[in-house]
Amino acid sequence: MPSALKADGITVSFGGVVAVNDVSLDVEQGKILGLIGPNGAGKTTLFNALTGFVTPQAGRIYLHGNEITRLPPYMRTRVGIGRTFQTERPFEELTLLENVLVAAFLKEPKRKKAEQLAMDVLEKVGLADRYDQPALDLNLARRRRLELAKALAVQPSVLFLDEMMAGLNPPALKEMIEFVRRLTDQNLTIVMVEHIMEAIIELSDHVIVMANGSVITEGLPRDVIEDPRVITAYLGED
Amino acid sequence: MFDYVSFLQNLSNGVLIGGVYALIGVGLTLVFGVMKIINFAHGDFVILGMYCAVLLNSLLGWDPYLSLLVAMPLGFVAGALLQRLVLSRLMEAPPESSLLVTLGLALVIGNILLLTFGAEPKSVNVSYASSTVSLGEVSFSMILLLAGLATMVVIAGLYTVLNHTELGRAIRATADNRLGAELVGINTRWIEAVVFGIGMALAVTAGVVLIPLLFATPTFSGAIFTLKAFVVTVLGGLGNIGAAIAGGLLLGVVEVMGASYLTSDYRDAYGLLVFLLILLLRPEGLFGKTVKRV
Amino acid sequence: MKKHYIIFAGLVMVGILYPQMFPGYLSVAITLLLYAGWATAWDILGGWAGQVSLGHASFVGLGAYFVAVGTAHHEIAPWWSILMALVAAAMLAYLWGRLTFKLKGPYFTLSTIAIAEIFRLIAINEGWLTGGATGVFIMTLPEPFGLDLFSRQVNYYLALAFAAITVLVVMLISCSKFGYQLRAVREDEDSAMASGINPTTVKLKAFMLSGALTALGGGIYAIFLSFIEPHIIFYLLLSVQIALTAIIGGRGTIWGPCVGALLIVGSGEIFRTTFAEANMLIYGLLIMVVVIFMPRGIVGEPARYLIRRVYAKRAQG
Repeated sequence: MPSALKADGITVSFGGVVAVNDVSLDVEQGKILGLIGPNGAGKTTLFNALTGFVTPQAGRIYLHGNEITRLPPYMRTRVGIGRTFQTERPFEELTLLENVLVAAFLKEPKRKKAEQLAMDVLEKVGLADRYDQPALDLNLARRRRLELAKALAVQPSVLFLDEMMAGLNPPALKEMIEFVRRLTDQNLTIVMVEHIMEAIIELSDHVIVMANGSVITEGLPRDVIEDPRVITAYLGED
Repeated sequence: MFDYVSFLQNLSNGVLIGGVYALIGVGLTLVFGVMKIINFAHGDFVILGMYCAVLLNSLLGWDPYLSLLVAMPLGFVAGALLQRLVLSRLMEAPPESSLLVTLGLALVIGNILLLTFGAEPKSVNVSYASSTVSLGEVSFSMILLLAGLATMVVIAGLYTVLNHTELGRAIRATADNRLGAELVGINTRWIEAVVFGIGMALAVTAGVVLIPLLFATPTFSGAIFTLKAFVVTVLGGLGNIGAAIAGGLLLGVVEVMGASYLTSDYRDAYGLLVFLLILLLRPEGLFGKTVKRV
Repeated sequence: MKKHYIIFAGLVMVGILYPQMFPGYLSVAITLLLYAGWATAWDILGGWAGQVSLGHASFVGLGAYFVAVGTAHHEIAPWWSILMALVAAAMLAYLWGRLTFKLKGPYFTLSTIAIAEIFRLIAINEGWLTGGATGVFIMTLPEPFGLDLFSRQVNYYLALAFAAITVLVVMLISCSKFGYQLRAVREDEDSAMASGINPTTVKLKAFMLSGALTALGGGIYAIFLSFIEPHIIFYLLLSVQIALTAIIGGRGTIWGPCVGALLIVGSGEIFRTTFAEANMLIYGLLIMVVVIFMPRGIVGEPARYLIRRVYAKRAQG
């Protein structure tokens, strides 16, 4: 399979503190990359560097072979990157349909067609029956699904999911895992930062473990979580 | 040939008037530091102080400096009440809400003064209005000297309160870290009322000090003082008192120098230009941290 | 949306017939229409894009000065000078926005005050360009199709056209792609970027449109006054009035700014004898009440309440 997303030697530092140190990765099209590590490992910073919200000091990023390192976030969205935010950010004053519509307009400038696309996406995530509700009044599980719908409505080729599973109750978690799995059937490539191991193990084709800004190990999910270095990173030395 | 005497003359005038600007700016920056609100009515508090001196002078014949005895405590109480009754309702509101409410307050104050005192400019005549003190060839206007002196006394007093009293510690703690201050038992809501009271008292004092020098007009000059206060605080950095003093002195000097060496038509523009430049070139540095949320 | 167009058509009809019904009250109506138009134009930037400007008097001044100086000093017909003013205002807004849009919230607002004050000082001091502090008289105006541009009646229809055009523009925006981009940027710039929106471009477009429309009103204002002076037309208080009219009525709503104008110009008329020149007292009191008790404005707050209530009912039943 061709490479969908490739990063070489990404380094990000904030005022002398290195948050991400020389991280490289390569995701094949249609695969899911899991990104795990203890708090403060630099996962979210790496994630933001890949999506353009943080500028790396060194390294290069390629999307389907084209370099995107210097592109601002909105340009990356236009060339095929979709993302969710860790703390969901619906446009609270807008209805669910309008929320998704904002994103749908990217590929469908005509209102009618964009609305159709937005409705389709809402259908997919199971929010279609609430399309005219203001986004302000949603509960957590639905806010997550709306966040996902917004990311899908830009019709990305690579989707970044930032802790989509955190805080969901078991049935909602199962549903979300099932949903994400189905996304790859349509050849969508996914990069996910996640703390819920169940989701990582069930979904990832490849896992990268970070600690203190660097990659400490990577591989298949089952192998990685039994790696003693990973256990040390999570639990500390002694 | 460069004229040193007139340069020194301008410099000293700039510094003295800048001291009063500093006094105005310190109040604004203190309020911002603790409450994180931009008080648009600050300049109108200055005008209130001016009218307080005008009123006491015309009714009782008091010297402006004597009226400070009434104006300062009154300003403090009024400020604390305003905070408790009005501004405390805006804690959860979006950041420009406080700007809009204090803008409304500015309009209310200005127009009530207009209804009470009429539109024509008012001032107080003092016997020492035209006396000067000479130091070599440079002469200091008595009014400006007194204003500078009063400013120094008030700011020194504020400094003492902030750095050497229990109340000052509580104020600094609240400005630093509100939640932390609450955890160690500081009643931050009460502190905010006190701080807004102090801010208003400082503004009122500046007004009283300025009245022998400037005319008070009800609706027009408030906005000008507010702008000057913003210029001062941005020059130094919002929330930082030492820097506000430096900013005030700088504004005074920039204005006087600009007026005498460039053109006095744009006296008010020099400060605004510097204000814009700093706002645009160093917004984070001067406004404290702007954390990028992701 | 359809109901908005019906309301719009109805109001325009009333507007057209008004001079026949109340020929004695044209000046008040002109003021009302100008403020409705300005507040609506302001709202494109302040409400829909969420960038509160207190410098819009600059655009009023630009439009007014182009028309006044154009006719008085250069014998340019007002329609050409208004056209030039629109282009100039859009260019000014572009540069202004480029310079200041990196500032957030209250800091952006403060910068607009500073820039507008500098324009006022320029208008006062650069007499060769603007006629200086004494202002400019419009002595003669051309008579297109035999219309006397000095007559109140003609002024009224110009102001009506201005208000109607501005409201129509906002109605068209509100359900377009651009309208949703504006709202997205207002709500959350990062999230908007994740939807492929460039916030700076969107805000610049909003500012240019807002500035140009405001200048259009400024040009008509100059014809209406036939005498302009920088102290009035570039004054901070005019900026404040325009912004507060929109905010009191309801930011980011189609009719909010118009309702704000009706309320404020109306109450200004009622209390004119009581408060005389202290007319800004009403603005001050209203804005405090609105921001504290109904932050979305007089139109925005009930509309929002209704929407949420309707939905809550449907969710139950």
